[in-house]
Amino acid sequence: MPFDIDIALTRGTARIEARFAVPGGLTALFGTSGAGKTSVLGAIAGLITPERGSIRVNDEVLFDHSARIDLKPERRACGYVFQDSRLFPHRTVRDNLLYGWRRAPTQRRWMALEEACEFLGIGHLLARMPRTLSGGEMQRVAIGRALLSGPRFLLMDEPLSSLDEDRRGGIMHVIERIRDELELPILYVSHDHREVDRLADHIVQMGPEGCTVRPGPAQGRKAGPDLTPSDAPLALRARLRSVHPTPTSA
Amino acid sequence: MNRFGRWLAAFTLTLGLVANAGIAHAAGPLVLAAASLRESMTAAADAWAAKGHEHPVVSFAASSALARQIEADAPADIFVSADEEWMNYLQQRKLIKPATRKSFLANDIVLIAPANSPVKLAIRKGFPLARTLGDGRLAMGDPNAVPAGRYGKQALENLGVWDSVAAKVAAAQNVRVALAFVDRGETPLGIVYATDAKQDKGVRVVSVFPRSSHTPVTYPIALVAKSTNRDAEAFRKFLISKDGKAIFARYGFGAL
Amino acid sequence: MSTILSALPGLSGEEWQVVALSLKVSTVAIVLDLPLAFALAWLLARGRFPGKVLLDAIVHLPLVLPPVVTGWMLLLGFGSQGPFGKILNDLFGLTLIFRWTGAALAAAIMALPLMVRAIRLSLDGVDRRLENAARTLGAGAWGTFATITLPLALPGVMAAIVLGFARSIGEFGATITFASNIPGETQTLPLAIYTALQIPGSESQVTRLALISVALSLAALVISEVLTRRSGQGKAGHAI
Repeated sequence: MPFDIDIALTRGTARIEARFAVPGGLTALFGTSGAGKTSVLGAIAGLITPERGSIRVNDEVLFDHSARIDLKPERRACGYVFQDSRLFPHRTVRDNLLYGWRRAPTQRRWMALEEACEFLGIGHLLARMPRTLSGGEMQRVAIGRALLSGPRFLLMDEPLSSLDEDRRGGIMHVIERIRDELELPILYVSHDHREVDRLADHIVQMGPEGCTVRPGPAQGRKAGPDLTPSDAPLALRARLRSVHPTPTSA
Repeated sequence: MNRFGRWLAAFTLTLGLVANAGIAHAAGPLVLAAASLRESMTAAADAWAAKGHEHPVVSFAASSALARQIEADAPADIFVSADEEWMNYLQQRKLIKPATRKSFLANDIVLIAPANSPVKLAIRKGFPLARTLGDGRLAMGDPNAVPAGRYGKQALENLGVWDSVAAKVAAAQNVRVALAFVDRGETPLGIVYATDAKQDKGVRVVSVFPRSSHTPVTYPIALVAKSTNRDAEAFRKFLISKDGKAIFARYGFGAL
Repeated sequence: MSTILSALPGLSGEEWQVVALSLKVSTVAIVLDLPLAFALAWLLARGRFPGKVLLDAIVHLPLVLPPVVTGWMLLLGFGSQGPFGKILNDLFGLTLIFRWTGAALAAAIMALPLMVRAIRLSLDGVDRRLENAARTLGAGAWGTFATITLPLALPGVMAAIVLGFARSIGEFGATITFASNIPGETQTLPLAIYTALQIPGSESQVTRLALISVALSLAALVISEVLTRRSGQGKAGHAI
């Protein structure tokens, strides 16, 4: 199972419990604001320590309270795309993109800078400073930065919410390509039905009574004849597979 | 902007120009007195108040600082200086009432050592002060600034030893700090007023400077020119009276 | 720097010596303070431990105590007869009292709270979420500190240096009480001004020294304001 989550944590006065297991593709974490969606992403990334439970991704244990396993964030190989791109303001776009790449072990780098630039169409931005970018450009760079860090899965926290309508389509297309061409597991937080309808293979509904998993509207579209990935993404996907093999159970 | 304001204020305060301008309007006279008079003047003010008068307000600082405060229009009534020079300074600027000026107290300057020090030294022409100090320093009030330091420097010059110790002086901002340097054993010797040495159990007097070696240490008193307090003159008369001087004598001051 | 200062019109050799000593004392004080101030600011900004309020108060003591009291406590603690003074002398042969090193210590202690405050403010201004982003990108705690926190806090650190320097240049009470007023050894600008003030008719010298003092402090404060403002803009930049 790419995502096998069973955790409880307290943020402020709110008690957050999340328990779900989903098979892969893009999983939307859906729920009202304040349900603790972002906290769950934080716990998976290792930025928040749950009070109990366990976190498994691709059958690797990232956190297990009873076994006292708690991998540090930098050891979890997760690509986190934040709601507010969180580009480093004192570094160029190029240095932002390469920040995680430089720190990743060589054998884990399944994407090169040129590939990321082409995939996201950001090659012309490399010398710029983040504050000079538009919202859409920032989010593309943030996604590129996450991909270049050699992740085995992506966490995306409302990556479209700070964008205007025109730019959303472009980023949404990028996310679809990551999902379909790279087949990188994605946990995607949103409270927008339209996004979920277009993107999600599975939907985890978070609510006071707990989590329920149901198939998403996008499931099955992969068989569609209109999708013929070009050679370049296929090579990328092959490299990604060799770096982060998909567990047989998936 | 706020930070600039604070810095400017701190700077002004450092110059000491406005230090006591705020405490003006108690009914008793405002007395600005040299720091070395702290205990004795306080006792004298208490005695005056005990006679049924309004209690004088006394502010103690270096004579120089007090003189500059008066020059800066501090609303003072009486000035008691630890030397004649600063009184002259005010008189030249017509800031005191010359007819009320009177030198009424005398003091000695003495060479002191920590109470447990075995040092023996007699003060005379060319006495081996530098050799006795060795690597140690000579604590005294700033010889350029503090009256006690100036008297000490003058005495050492007249005794022909100043040049050999000038580089060894630890110049303190007032006599009390010089006293503390010796009390704490930070310097083997120091020069202070006899009245200061008398109050500190941590030091002992090694030798008294002969009065012929320096300008007599006298304390002049005068009314400030702009004084309006009606008790001021009466308090001044009390201080220079026999009764008044007797109070100061208890603290080691000589009468004039 | 030295050529500019020595070229100042009307500055005598002795006055030049005073300015040079002031700069030396303040520089050493700041170099001494910087690592300590940063560590303290870090503890106060990020640390969670019992007694934090107390540490905060102790750090700020020199800011609210009369400087003479600070000088007095230095005399008791770091004089050659004081407990710390004895240790420093036995271990390193370092004497502080009546030495320029003592003036530097006094200046360092008086400047410390201002520096801690400035650095702490800049650390508080660093967006923790950027640090979290760095962690998810593979940077360890130290790597994150070196590549994200420190560069973003740098304008505040620069401001702290300048502010601390200005405070050191102006330090008087603790210095004269602890290190005393020794020309060429501990007589810094404010002490020289004080000394000149004691001599009737020395007004022109006082004015000259005071102007230098004002110029140095003003320059430092302007630099500090500019740096602070620049760091403020940096923050606005990534808040969007």
